[in-house]
Order: sequence, then structure tokens, then C-alpha cells
Amino acid sequence: MIKFKINGKKVQGEEGQYVIQVAEKYGITIPTLCHHKALEPAGMCRMCTVELFNGRNTKFVTACNYPIWEGMEINTDTEAVHQGRKLIVEMLYARCPEVPLLKKLAKEYEIETVRFPKQDDDCILCGLCVRMCEKMGNSAISLTGRGVDMKIDTPFGIQSDTCLACGACASVCPTGHITLEKIKNEITKKNPFIIPSEYEMGLKGRKPIYVPYAQAVPNNPAIDRDVCMHFKTGGCQICTEVCQMDAIDHSMEDEIIEIDVGSVILSPGFKPFDPSKFDNYMYSNYPNVMTTMEFERILSASGPTQGHLTRLSDNKEPKKIAWFQCIGSRDTNKCDNSYCSSVCCMYAIKEAMIAKEHQGDDLDCSIFFMDMRTPGKEFERYYQNAKEKHGINFIRSRAHSITEVPDTNDLEVRYVNEKGVIQTEIFDIIVLSVGIEIPDETRKFAEKIGIEITENGFCKTDSFEPVKTSRDGIYVAGAFNGPKDIPESVLDASAAASAAGDSLSKARNTLTKIPESVPEINVTGERPRIGVFVCDCGSNINGVVNCAEITEYARTLPFVEFAQESLYTCSQDTQDKMVEYIKEKNLNRVVVAACTPKTHEPLFQETLTNSGLNKYLFEMTNIRNQNSWVHKNNPDLATEKAKDLVRMAVAKSGLAEPLTEEKINLNEKVVIIGGGIAGMAAAKSLASQGYETHIIEQQNFLGGQALKLYRTAKGEDVQLKLKQLINDVSSMDKIKIHLNTTLKSVDGFVGNFKSKLLKQEKDFEIEHGIAIIATGAKGCETSEYCFGENPKIITSLDLDKMLIKNDPEINNINSAVFIQCVGSRETKRPYCSRVCCTHSIENAIILKTKKPEMDIYILYRDIRTYGEKELLYKKARDIGVIFIRYDVNAKPEVTTKGNEISVKVKDHILDMLLEIKPDIVTLATAIVPNKDEKLANFFKVPINEDNFFVEKHAKLGPAEFATDGVFLCGSCHYPKSLDEAVTQAKASASRALTLLSKKDNLYTSGNVADINPMYCSSCGICVSICPYSAPLFTTEGRFKDKAEINPILCKGCGLCVSSCRSGAIHLKGFDTNQIFAQIYALDKAV
Amino acid sequence: MGNLLEHMGIEKQRLHFSWISSAEATKFVNVAKEVTNAVRALEPNNKFVKTLD
Amino acid sequence: MTKEKRKIVAFLCNWCSYGAADLAGVSRMQYPADIRVIRVPCTGRVSPKFILSAFRQGADGVWVSG
Repeated sequence: MIKFKINGKKVQGEEGQYVIQVAEKYGITIPTLCHHKALEPAGMCRMCTVELFNGRNTKFVTACNYPIWEGMEINTDTEAVHQGRKLIVEMLYARCPEVPLLKKLAKEYEIETVRFPKQDDDCILCGLCVRMCEKMGNSAISLTGRGVDMKIDTPFGIQSDTCLACGACASVCPTGHITLEKIKNEITKKNPFIIPSEYEMGLKGRKPIYVPYAQAVPNNPAIDRDVCMHFKTGGCQICTEVCQMDAIDHSMEDEIIEIDVGSVILSPGFKPFDPSKFDNYMYSNYPNVMTTMEFERILSASGPTQGHLTRLSDNKEPKKIAWFQCIGSRDTNKCDNSYCSSVCCMYAIKEAMIAKEHQGDDLDCSIFFMDMRTPGKEFERYYQNAKEKHGINFIRSRAHSITEVPDTNDLEVRYVNEKGVIQTEIFDIIVLSVGIEIPDETRKFAEKIGIEITENGFCKTDSFEPVKTSRDGIYVAGAFNGPKDIPESVLDASAAASAAGDSLSKARNTLTKIPESVPEINVTGERPRIGVFVCDCGSNINGVVNCAEITEYARTLPFVEFAQESLYTCSQDTQDKMVEYIKEKNLNRVVVAACTPKTHEPLFQETLTNSGLNKYLFEMTNIRNQNSWVHKNNPDLATEKAKDLVRMAVAKSGLAEPLTEEKINLNEKVVIIGGGIAGMAAAKSLASQGYETHIIEQQNFLGGQALKLYRTAKGEDVQLKLKQLINDVSSMDKIKIHLNTTLKSVDGFVGNFKSKLLKQEKDFEIEHGIAIIATGAKGCETSEYCFGENPKIITSLDLDKMLIKNDPEINNINSAVFIQCVGSRETKRPYCSRVCCTHSIENAIILKTKKPEMDIYILYRDIRTYGEKELLYKKARDIGVIFIRYDVNAKPEVTTKGNEISVKVKDHILDMLLEIKPDIVTLATAIVPNKDEKLANFFKVPINEDNFFVEKHAKLGPAEFATDGVFLCGSCHYPKSLDEAVTQAKASASRALTLLSKKDNLYTSGNVADINPMYCSSCGICVSICPYSAPLFTTEGRFKDKAEINPILCKGCGLCVSSCRSGAIHLKGFDTNQIFAQIYALDKAV
Repeated sequence: MGNLLEHMGIEKQRLHFSWISSAEATKFVNVAKEVTNAVRALEPNNKFVKTLD
Repeated sequence: MTKEKRKIVAFLCNWCSYGAADLAGVSRMQYPADIRVIRVPCTGRVSPKFILSAFRQGADGVWVSG
């Protein structure tokens, strides 16, 4: 260490360092124009000149390349130094009067008039570009000429072969003399380009070393070999020099790793359709035609425009935006994607709604569509809201082409409206709702590993085994298993996990290694000895907050025994050291000032456990996400805030106590309510993984609604497969079937339920740890369309029944009408029943195949054959099924007269009233859930306004309830097709298995409320206020009638604590005295 | 709560309540700025500070 | 005693606003440095006593956010 002084302050640096490096470390700014920390200093600009006192006399040296020595004294800002710098700025300003950097400097140095003749150069000859180019291992440019003729140039002033157009020179040029344009036109023969950021859909550039996106997992930078200069020239390696952890190794090579596995799950995903091949939409040519994926980035707060909605061509805020649906979907004309991508209608509406949220209600949004497909849970309501409450225009038309309005980049669209009139409209932005496509690599991969795919590249699966590929042991999840939205992908994923586990259940836990556990040290009653660890997070924190000062400050706080700063507190070596320090210094509390406890608390708690301390003796304070990152421009305030936060954390930590986590005893039995397809599929999964499962069915048979279905959308025979499933379920030892049984009451909570059941007037009880609700749904009753007046007017399920028993009546039908949306998508029942379009079309095809001369009409509002079901729609049209769209305000009219039925409907295309006299009318009646409020109360699970059960999270928790240990599947969640019901069943089983597999390690949190019965006044407020029913009155013993809290149910919210009048309740880990300690610690802050 | 503070001589504008979901970073920042501005518009809180006498 | 800067105590719900504050950091949004966060498991934990106590300790403002 070399000790010396800068501006009178004692500083120290290491041998070989230059003055500027040490100054920077101590936050002393020395101005410079030609210095770059990645490059060797050159002393070109002389701006960094400082005054050196060597004990006898003073002289001027350049700080960037003057090495430090013991005892020297540096003054960075004396009057003489200032005058010298001013002169340099004046001369450079005269040379380059238009360069913003020099204008700014001139202002700073108060230069009003320049005494030298003004020139019009923009290069200050700092040589950064030349040195950078050399560092890149290239040396394509250099300083040429002498004296006044000196300039930056290539050899002989001609465009260079050597230059690789990496752009490093432009990135360091302080004046803007070197630009990409200039590189392209004067320096290189190659084509310089900005590396497009994949995450930003190419709307922004990225570096050759980059983190793909902010939340990437793992969140480590990667090097793009194709553009990294080191792999081209062997030079650069600046990243290696800068990385303080020596984490970068350019010599790493790809390696092949072999792993022995029993099952494989494929989830390769999809790629968004590339619309550049459509010449009519001019996506590649018009800047304001973009894809929905790009628009998604424009709307994002972390996107290229920081969430500010502007046009790419001129940064103007748009007034009118249009979305074009079905780009690359339902199209065999311009591309080969005949299927529907399932998600685009909904995401287009979402984007329009968010755009309006950003820009205000004046923004005009139009969505051009063919059929509006919103068959998901709560989707139809969202669509209606968008239309009615938010004024988004829905135009049923496919625009032929887009033309750009000259000079404005506005976009003109001509389309035919529903009345057949040609319209012209001008939009600021047009967003192409691109579909989902399986990339060629995935198709090739599928071929290579030998699994069957459909003609569209999606994985082929069976409706009763919806996540199993054609090859044993290989399963599939996500968009590769058919285009799908988030909840369906999540369900697929869980289902695939349980399917993969079914065949492996015997091998479970055979390779488990148990970590050595460290016995816990008893610290009760000890005086707090707090260790404080301050994290630099590289420069993430230390770049703003003075971490050395914080650490120093922490040492002065009461009860702090030890404080240390580290570069990355979360790194493995720091963790190891932390364990050592805890032992060596006998610490009994630990405070870490770093990032957020939400991500890192568990890691540090584990370290405490490893060193024998109770993990609740840990406290964390957030000086990154909530400090250094958000107060970048105020280092002083941020440092002060960090001190306050550390002091508050230390104050709280001193009062921390070791907490215990109660072990939850988990009964391994599962009860499934409902013996339909979903209930049975879930039971089969659980039983094959070795868990005893009870199916409770109120009817005297298994099978539910599936008993009434003829064929699946894939053409499979439902009855045949159903029989197999019932046989499987009935023959499995682990499955107990209780027919004619109803639930009378349920007591208990996760792991410990007690259900009272009633079977043929006999009561019995099952103790179980988990419940799955699969109570299903049924077709609604209707009186519309003369239903019940004529036996030829039937429901879809009636038609299936006829088909199942091969009713000879079918052969007598010459004309059939299907009416869709009977009782769905209306004010009274606003949701879409999801499956009816497919069901009717499938039956229409069956009828038409049986008797090709039959006239078949399907009267519909929107055809919602999502995914590859669209192929059925296409097939139906091809074989001559006639589709007639009707409006909800002008429904078809059905009248009967004797045996004759008449259906009148207005055809929108012909604009005339048609009359059909069919032999049969099939009504696609809505699907309604078997509403069961009692059941909902038993398990404390919610029901929505449409009477479906409400899952934990619409997207991420679609097979479980917010109540721990209770899951759901099948149509009680929302109407769904058979394969979707099986998927959800397997998913719910999977979620249940996740819990069951933790049997021996299931603990409550330590952060729960606890009642001191001595203080409890039995007022009952906690009992009534708790949303989780955790507090109850004790019914016996010494503290009878006092409240007590069940730690298993307690979520630690603290509501009871703040409402307890007697102060009897404590929240462990967030106790009143701890929060007061934090508040009191403010005192010194104020 | 506001009334109680007023009664004690603490301006209502010193106390703020809000509901922000974990995804609403922009809203958080906006409310943080609002709260800060509202508080900065007032004199420093000297009235209610505990003193030694 | 006069103070240049103000001090605001923020009781933030661990699951909601605290997460939003973290995200604001990830997105590098900037806001004034007057706020001192006390993380609570839920705003239900915040008792009026805390608010009064914060004022008594000289806080210029209190912000409770769920």
C-alpha cells in the first residue's frame, strides 16, 4: 500500500496505480477527455493536469499516467490547475465550436469569447478511437499527418479491409466525430450494424456481452461469440479485466453432458409468425407497421421507449391504432397455417386496453377480425367491457392491404365493412396480430427423437393422455402441444410433471442426499452481538452509496460486534466467510445491507442455519433496489439513507428472537369430490404414485357428463375410452370409490382434514390431508327456440345420445339446423361456454359423412374453434356445411306448426331473411356449473359471479385454490373439452403431489402470531377479523375461553396483532417492539 | 386517523395511504413523489417531537 | 431546529408495495430520497400507535401502503 495525500486528504493506493485511479476510488473527480479505464493512459488531452508537491517544490503532472509514490501530495483543483484547464478547453473549443461536449465545458469554465480563430472540426485528437481499435486487436485506424494536418484516418485514407466494423471507436468517441455512418462510408468495407436485442424484438440494440433481460434466469451475462471481438481478433478482453470476480473465461468450450433420466418433458415453445413475407402489409417497408410482439415492448415500462407510446418513424404520439387479426393464422392462402393461434384475439384486446390506459380515452383503437375468439375464463367479459365501456372498435373485416400516405408515414387502409361498403381509414400505427408457429428446428427435433407431430408441427397427443407423446416416457407441455395461453401452458406443465412422475414413482427418493445439519446454538438471554455485512453488489450499490462509510458507521452502532464490506455478499465465498465470522466473533444476530429480502433472505438464512444460528436471527435491509438504484444522482443522500436503514435494521435485529417452525403432520390420503372424467383422471395419477385416494360421487355410477358424449374433437370414441378409464380406476387398490355419497361437513386444514360423509343414510368419516374438487358442470335448461314443444328440437347432448345408440331416426333427417350460444354470451350469462362451437361442427361433420345429401346449417355468432380445432371448421365448410352468422339482437326465430319446424334467420352477407324447414334443430345450450355453496364453505374456497370456482391465480395457479391443500379440476373451474379436463386433473394431482412429497419436511413459517393467554380478554376480535380462521377460543384446559392461534393456518399478516385491545398477541419476527425499535431508530435520523 | 392528527395539530397531509400491487412500479414511484411533495410543502414536523424537558 | 430534508416513514406491505418498490429499482426509476421503508407483512400489521410514534419521533410524514 502506498500512502499519500490528495487535496489534503489521506489516501492510499496500490503499487503501479496512477493518480487518477486512486482519486476515482475516493470520489475525487479529475476532468479528462482522453482517459478510459479499459485503455492504457496516453496523456493526450492534458485536461487531467494536477499539481504535485514532492516535499520541496511543485510541478504539474498528468493524473492519468503519473504513477503514485509514498508521501506525495496532489492538489487537483488549485487556481493554476484551473487556469491551465481553461486554456485547453478554450483551444479545443476554438477547434470544435459545434461539439456539445466542448460547448458544455466552455460554459463550465466560463469562457465567453474565444481568443483563437474558430475552426469547424469535430475531432479533438484524443486518440481514444485509435487506442480502442488497437485494444480490439485490430489497429485499422491511426493518427496520421503531422502538426496541423494531424487527423484520424485509415492507411492511405481508403476504406479498410482490416476494419471489422465493430463500432468500438464510435462507442468511445467523446465528440461524436466517429459515427456509424462515418464507419460505413469512410472507414470500413464491411457493413456496421447495431446488434439487435432479441428481447426488445430488435427495437433496441444490445452489447456482445449481455444479460438477455432484467428478470432472466440465471441472471448472468452471456457472451455472443458471433459478434464478440475477442473471438475474431484475440484482442479486447476488457470484460475480463473489469470483472472483479474473474468470472469470465473466453477459453470455455461447448461440452456434451450426459444425464440418465427416466422421463423427458418437451417444452420447446413456439415462434411468433414472421409477417415480412406478406407483401400486402409491407411490414418490412413501413416503419409504423409492427407486430404485436414489438408493440408489447413499446407498451412496457422497461421497453425501448420506457413505456411511452410513440411511433417508430417520428416519435409522434399516435391518435389512431389498428390491429389486424389472424396474421399467419387461419390462412392457407398466403401461408400454410390453417389452425387458429388461440391467443391473438385476447392479447390484441389487452394491448388496445393498455394503449388506452397509457394514452387516455382519446386514443382511437380498432381491431379488424374474422371471428372474435375469447373462450377463456373471464375473457368474454373482458371483450364486452373493451367494446362497451372502453369504446374499442371491433370491425369484422379483413383488410386487403396497407399503403403509406406519402411524407407522413401514416397508413391508409381500405376495407369492406359488414354492410359491404368500401371504407378508407388512416391510422398512425398498424399492429399485426401475429400467430404462433412451430419452428423448423422443433419439427426436425421431433423427427429425430421419433415423436409424431401434426401437419402443423404440433405434438400429436390423445385426448385421454393429453401430455403424452407417441413415444413412451416422453411428455409434452406448452405451445408445442397446440397453441395455448398462459393458464393452459401452466396446466400442461403441471400435468406433464405428474405424468412423468407416474412412471417413475418407484424410483422416487432413491438418489436423495441429505445435507448435514448443524445443531442450533441456544442464544436465548445472551446480549445481542450483531454482525453487519454491507454489500457493494459490484458497483450496483458501491457506485452510488459509500459502502466503506456505511460499514464504518455500522461499527459505531449499539450491540454491533463486527461489520464488514464485501464485493458480493451473496457469493459462495462470502457466505463461507460469514459462517467463519459468526463462529469466530461469536455473533448471535446478523444484518445484511444489500438487495431485497424478497429474493435473497432465504439464502442468508440458510447461511445462518449452517453456522448454527436460528434463521430468524437474520435481518436484511434494502440498500440497492430501494436506494442506490433509485437515487443514482444523489450519492450523498443515498449514503445517508443507507445509514438510516442500517441503523433501523440493527435496532430491529437486536430484538430478534429465535423462532421455531411447527412441523405439519400431513395425512397422505386424498379426497376427490366428483367422479367424472376429471376426478377419475386425478385419482388415477395420485394412486399410481402410491397415494390412497377416495372418490366421492353423489350418483350411483362414475363417468359424469362424459357418459353423454359421442366423439372427441380428435374423433376418438369417448365411450370406449371412458369405459377403460372407469375400469382402471375401479381396479386400482389405492383408489376407494364411494358412490351415492355426499359430503356433510369438513373440519380442519391442510394435511389434517376430517370429512363427514353420508352414504345411503349411513354416516362415515374420512381423515385426509388433501382435497380435490371436481364437481363438474352440466348443460343448462332452456325454453328458447321452442325447446320442449317439439321432440325434434333437442340439445347437443341429445344429439350425441342419438349418435351413441346409432338411432335409425338419423337416416330420416334431410335438413339439420344447429343454433349456437343458447344461453351463453348474453346479459344473463355473459361467459362463453367454450366447447359448443367445436361440438356442433364435429357433429355436423359426422351427420354429413353419414348422409352427404343432408343440408346442414350452423347458426352462430362467432365460430370459436381455437387451436387445431379450426381444421374441423375448415373441413365442415369444405364438405358443404352452411354457416350463417346471426346477431345477438336479431336471434333466429324458431316456430313449430304441427310436426313442421321453421327457422328464420337473417343472413348478413346476403342481407336477407332466410327460412329453413329442418327435420331437426340442435341447440348448443350453455354449460353451467353444479353450484355448491356448501362445498365452497366447507373448504373456504370462493365462487365467482358465474358460479364457477375461483382458482388461486388465473394465470399461474389454475389448478389450486388459495386455501392450502385444496385443488380443483374439470368444468367446475370453467367449461372445457375432455382433453383440457384431463390435463387440469393431472395438474391438480401434480400440485397435490408437490405437497405430499414434502411430507417429512413440511413446516409452518416462524413468522406467525402468538397469543399470550394471560393477557387475553376473550373479546373475540381476532377470531372474527382473521381472514384465515387461524385464531379460535380454547375449549378446554387452564386457558379455556381464551383465544389461541393455529400456526398452520396463520399467514403472519398481523391483522389480529394490531387489533388486539389487550396487547396479548405478538407477531413473531415483526413484533411490536421490533417495529417500535425501527421507528425509534429514526430519531437519530431526523 | 386524519381527524385525530388534526386534533393534535398534525396536518392531515402528512399521512398517506395507498394501495399498489407488486407489479405497479410506475404507480409506486408516482405515489412516492406525490407523498414527498405533499410533505415537503409543509413545514418540517417540529410540533410533536419528543423533547427532553 | 430546522431541517433541510424531510423524513417520511413508509410502512410497506411485503407482498404488494414492497415488491413494487423493488421493481421500481430494477427498472431504475428515480424518486426522492426522503423515504425510509419499514417492511411489514401486511398493512393490517400497522397499528395507529406506529403512526403516532413515528410523528413523535419527528417524522415529517407517514405513508402506509398495501
